[in-house]
Amino acid sequence: MINSKILLVDDETVFTGNMSKLLTTRGYRVTAVNNGDAAIKALEEEKFDVVVLDLKMPGMDGIATLTEIKKLGLFTETLILTGHGSIDTAMEAIRIGAYDYLTKPCEIDELVAKIEGAWDKKDGAERQDIQDKIHKVVESPGSVFNVFPKDKRKE
Amino acid sequence: MAAQSKTNGNTSGNHSDAYGKKNYSPLFWRFITLTVVCSLLPLLLVGWGINIHYTRFSEARVIDSLKNQLEHHDKIIELFINRRSYALKVIAKTHSMDELIGPNKLDEVFEVLNHEDGSFTDLGVIGENGDHLAYAGPFSLKDKNYSNAFWFKKVLENGIFISDMFMGFRQEPHFIIAVVRMERGKRWILRGTVDTEVFRSLVESTMVGKTGEVLLVNPDGIFQTSPRFSGKIMEKAPFAIEKPQKKIKVDILKDALSAKTRQIPRQIAVWTWLKEPKWMLMIRQDYDEALNAVKHANFVTLVGLHLSALIILVVTMLITRHMIVVIRQRDEEADQLNRQYLQASKLASIGQLSAGVAHEINNPLAIILTERQILMDMEGQAPPMDPDLKAQFHDSMEQIDIQIQRCKRITQNLLRFARRTQSLIEPVDLNAFIKEVVELMEREARTSGIKFFTDLEENLPEIQSDPSQLQQVFLNMITNAVDAHDGMPYGTISITTGSENSGKNVRIGFADTGSGIRPEHLEKLFDPFFTTKPVGKGTGLGLSICFSIIERLGGEIKVRSNPGEGSEFIISLPLEPPSGLKEELAQG
Repeated sequence: MINSKILLVDDETVFTGNMSKLLTTRGYRVTAVNNGDAAIKALEEEKFDVVVLDLKMPGMDGIATLTEIKKLGLFTETLILTGHGSIDTAMEAIRIGAYDYLTKPCEIDELVAKIEGAWDKKDGAERQDIQDKIHKVVESPGSVFNVFPKDKRKE
Repeated sequence: MAAQSKTNGNTSGNHSDAYGKKNYSPLFWRFITLTVVCSLLPLLLVGWGINIHYTRFSEARVIDSLKNQLEHHDKIIELFINRRSYALKVIAKTHSMDELIGPNKLDEVFEVLNHEDGSFTDLGVIGENGDHLAYAGPFSLKDKNYSNAFWFKKVLENGIFISDMFMGFRQEPHFIIAVVRMERGKRWILRGTVDTEVFRSLVESTMVGKTGEVLLVNPDGIFQTSPRFSGKIMEKAPFAIEKPQKKIKVDILKDALSAKTRQIPRQIAVWTWLKEPKWMLMIRQDYDEALNAVKHANFVTLVGLHLSALIILVVTMLITRHMIVVIRQRDEEADQLNRQYLQASKLASIGQLSAGVAHEINNPLAIILTERQILMDMEGQAPPMDPDLKAQFHDSMEQIDIQIQRCKRITQNLLRFARRTQSLIEPVDLNAFIKEVVELMEREARTSGIKFFTDLEENLPEIQSDPSQLQQVFLNMITNAVDAHDGMPYGTISITTGSENSGKNVRIGFADTGSGIRPEHLEKLFDPFFTTKPVGKGTGLGLSICFSIIERLGGEIKVRSNPGEGSEFIISLPLEPPSGLKEELAQG
């Protein structure tokens, strides 16, 4: 989806730089951070549609970051893009709640396809959520402020 | 020893050959020798010892019995001669010479004398000058003069004389007993001839078995009776005569005494000397006959002994052979384990080595790829290039991509290979697990025309194992199965699970309809870097990894393949991982 907001998390700055260029060229709004803490911070401040997450990073690694992201309970899908090469860690990530995984190096088209898939899933979940909330508001209009709390994050 | 060390030397270079050719025959013979020395030899020695002892004992008893017979016979003969001598003495004492030489008187006396047993052939009265004064008997010897006869002087000297057998005037073997009577200053002789037949039947009455005989020999070695086999009366005995002795002598004659009619085998001989006359009485019997019963018993025992020795030997050989077979099996199992261990450690060291190299390569690769992509992106927006440059640019970009993908495959495999250290044992529901993996692979193989079938046993027990490693193996198996269909428009991959070994193991089968594996490749299938895929397509690590993972988890991989028809890999896993692995993991 054009204009989707992507958060790139990878300790390789050259890689995140290149990847930002490539994704921007393809119409995405990309923010790149180089570690897990920065990713969590970014997610708290700003709304992102898809997080592209590396698994092997110094400090907080991908799995830990993913766990933290899941704790935030956001409408954000996480796509694992790992240079660590082994499917099993990626599978673990999927078990924790990642949308899918890709191994580095990967074709940009592949990545774009996965991002699109992730966006669709995120979008579907969000729509479902809104429908559920509307349903609730229709049932009890008084709860409107509880059901739709103000999202302080940037769009 | 030299051969042994040579074998060991080979082991490092070409272990599979060295293991196969281990020689067990020295071990076999060592066992046999040990058994023979420790059991057969003592058995045989004791057996033979008892046999010899028993033979000697029996021999002694047989000889004793022969001695008794001899003593008895000796007494009978002496008694016979003594009685005859005594009878003559009595006649001489109670009759005067004149009386005896009177008409018919001697015949009368002879008749009385022979009345009971007829043991005298004749009776004669001989004057001091040797004239035969009176004679009673069947021969006409009345006018003979005996003054020159060998016995005549001796009887005058000794008062009594018992002669050896001699021919005399009558020209047939006989012996005489003569007594002297001194009457009115004149000596006369009463001479009786002992009936040879009566004497012989007396002497020879002792019959000893089939081969026994009684011999009566004078000191010159002349037979006094006709022995059964060894000769005739008055003949020279065919053996040397010892000097007279008082004791009974025993000998076992080993040298064959040849008689006229037969070869005499080993004999037992007992002999003694009569007091008067000095004759040697001998009883002898074939040794074999005398000890026949013993011999038979010995034969039976010896046959039994040797038969049992033989049986022991045969049984020992059979048992030893069986043992060698068992030992060989054990050795082969140990060798197999050794080989597997070697294989595993080979894999481990390769893993360590390659992990370091591969670990960080993916990141630079990813960067190269993104750089390439940026160039590709920009090329689309930049002003048109020279056509040749453009063509070359695209070729190069294409090639960069191909080579990056190639590197990616290699590093991925190397990393999988190296990741075996991070094991985690937890319950695994294989059926669910396989469904997950198959789903994953189905997506990847969507365009290949390959269909997946699963036949999973319901109620398959959960196993304690390492899910991430199992996943690697399963993915590898399926990837290989997919690759085996290279160049085929369609195919199937069947994945089955089931219990095995009465519920102690689970079995996972991966069967494909691909190209199959050539028999000569089967052996090398699990070797690292062995691949039949074209250069750049396979690293040759996949099955090595699977092999070492499954081995580590306590299972095994088997493969069946028919070239052109497909292959089936069967993985067997225990419900519980080997205890060694658990400890290893517990220690971190």
